[in-house]
Amino acid sequence: MAYDSETGKLSCPSCGRKDNIEDLNEEFITTTFSQDEAREYQCENCGAVLITDADTTATSCSFCGAGVVLADRLSGELAPAKVIPFTISKEEAMLAFRKWCKNGLLTPQGFMTADRVKKISGMYVPFWMYDLNSKAKVNAVGTKVRTYTRGDYIYTETSFYDIYRDIDLHYVKVPVDASEKMNDELMDKLEPYHYDQLKDFKTPYLAGYLAEKYNYNDQELFSRVKTKVQSFIDSYISSTISGYTTVNYKDKQIDTSKTRSFYVLLPVWMVYYDFNKQEHTFAMNGQTGKVVGKPPISYGKVAAWFSGIAGGAFISLKLLSFMLGGGFW
Amino acid sequence: MKKWIFLSSFILMIFFLPVTWVFAATSTNQIIYDHADLLTEADKTELESIARSVADKRETDFILLTTNNTDGKTIERYTEDFYDETGPGYDKKHGNTAILTIDMGNREVYLSGFYKADEYLDSERLDLIRNKITPYLTNGDYGNAYRIFIETADEYMDYRPGVNPENILFKLWFQVVASIALGVIIVGLMAMNIGGKITVNQRTYMDPNKSRVVQKGDTYIRTTVSKRRKPSENNSRGGGGGGISRGGHSHSGSKGSF
Repeated sequence: MAYDSETGKLSCPSCGRKDNIEDLNEEFITTTFSQDEAREYQCENCGAVLITDADTTATSCSFCGAGVVLADRLSGELAPAKVIPFTISKEEAMLAFRKWCKNGLLTPQGFMTADRVKKISGMYVPFWMYDLNSKAKVNAVGTKVRTYTRGDYIYTETSFYDIYRDIDLHYVKVPVDASEKMNDELMDKLEPYHYDQLKDFKTPYLAGYLAEKYNYNDQELFSRVKTKVQSFIDSYISSTISGYTTVNYKDKQIDTSKTRSFYVLLPVWMVYYDFNKQEHTFAMNGQTGKVVGKPPISYGKVAAWFSGIAGGAFISLKLLSFMLGGGFW
Repeated sequence: MKKWIFLSSFILMIFFLPVTWVFAATSTNQIIYDHADLLTEADKTELESIARSVADKRETDFILLTTNNTDGKTIERYTEDFYDETGPGYDKKHGNTAILTIDMGNREVYLSGFYKADEYLDSERLDLIRNKITPYLTNGDYGNAYRIFIETADEYMDYRPGVNPENILFKLWFQVVASIALGVIIVGLMAMNIGGKITVNQRTYMDPNKSRVVQKGDTYIRTTVSKRRKPSENNSRGGGGGGISRGGHSHSGSKGSF
């Protein structure tokens, strides 16, 4: 049985039986966690011995293909609180990826057909979600500048203001990826996820997909989430200070504390694409279909776009100067 | 392919647009009236040939008038009287004429335009030309001052009357630089966004019900006032402008000292 992204239920591809995941009881939760590097598991379907990576929590049996969930790596401390199930199936993901490749304005022609996709795999990536409370105390000097003319002189009147702001900010469910293998920049770009589909975690959601357990705990990632909200806080602060010509910050005290953190699994399609003897990795948000990753750049296309834009701008400027009475040359 | 054909034919079209000049017979009027003996004979011959070729192109005579003594008249009046009495003009007597008057006695310079030159070389444009040639006059390089007067006037007459020919939009270097900058910026942005861009902003994760400004203060401290003199419109030594000669010929003008 494997998780079906369309119905949101466990379904058997052979007999068509569908089980509602919310109704299944949690029998694995008492199993203890062991920190073995690579561990042997037995496939419950065919009995073959599986050896998995230490971080893997769900995979497929390499002999019979049945989905295997390594429950002891999803229990105790390592039990995810929530999960967003896949809403995009493998076929849809492939189609969406092809479409995305076609829209690449600067990618080489051969890349756009997306016919050399080596592998596409659905993966639940571990994330920490933080609820944060930031208190900011800001002191700044603002100026308002007015100029006016009287007689033969131009007067510049600069008024100085002492600005003070005490701000209480709350952020909810800020995600930070907790997997060592995943590129942080790539994962940040996958956001946002829609949290209305955030469900209580049940192991069957993982059936048929790959899943990882976290490598960093919420303490270790706290500094990362702080830098992540830093820019949000800064732009909120500047949005509260308006009407000034210049603002010069003298003192900005920001104290961010965690009110809650929980462990979630978020759905990501990983696409491995061989192009020009190089492997390119892309990630797709398994819920919204947003694709991120660095595709190769065609210098020919860059040159074509550049000359097109620069040439067009040049001709428009010439036309403009002609219409203003300037002549062409 | 089609695009290129369209583009190249368009460019060709542009090329042939300005070829609407009328090639008239070369005038034989006197052009240089060097009463102050500022130029050598060789200079005169060379400058006259430049002046005549531009005159044919613009249907306007570019006259150099120098004197040591304006007989007590202002330089404007002196120039007007010269025009009334001599009656220069490319197309007819008292016709299209631009005059560069140099008075060595008072070290003053006056630029004026009559008829077509009045229209195409208005007082503002003559001011611009005067600012260009004044350094040459100060250095005693009268030949080059006259040559630049002709060349700049020729250039300015390309532009429709009333527009500022020194407008940055008309400068080729600006057009090239702006086009390249636009191309670099747009293609750069495209290349930067090729890997997907961040679509979360400060509001995505904020809880709007609980987030608030607890306390705010905007206290006025002080005001400082600085003043500076309004930049004068004209060159401080300049002034003058156009007028109507006693013979009834209206003209543009720009006067200054050197």
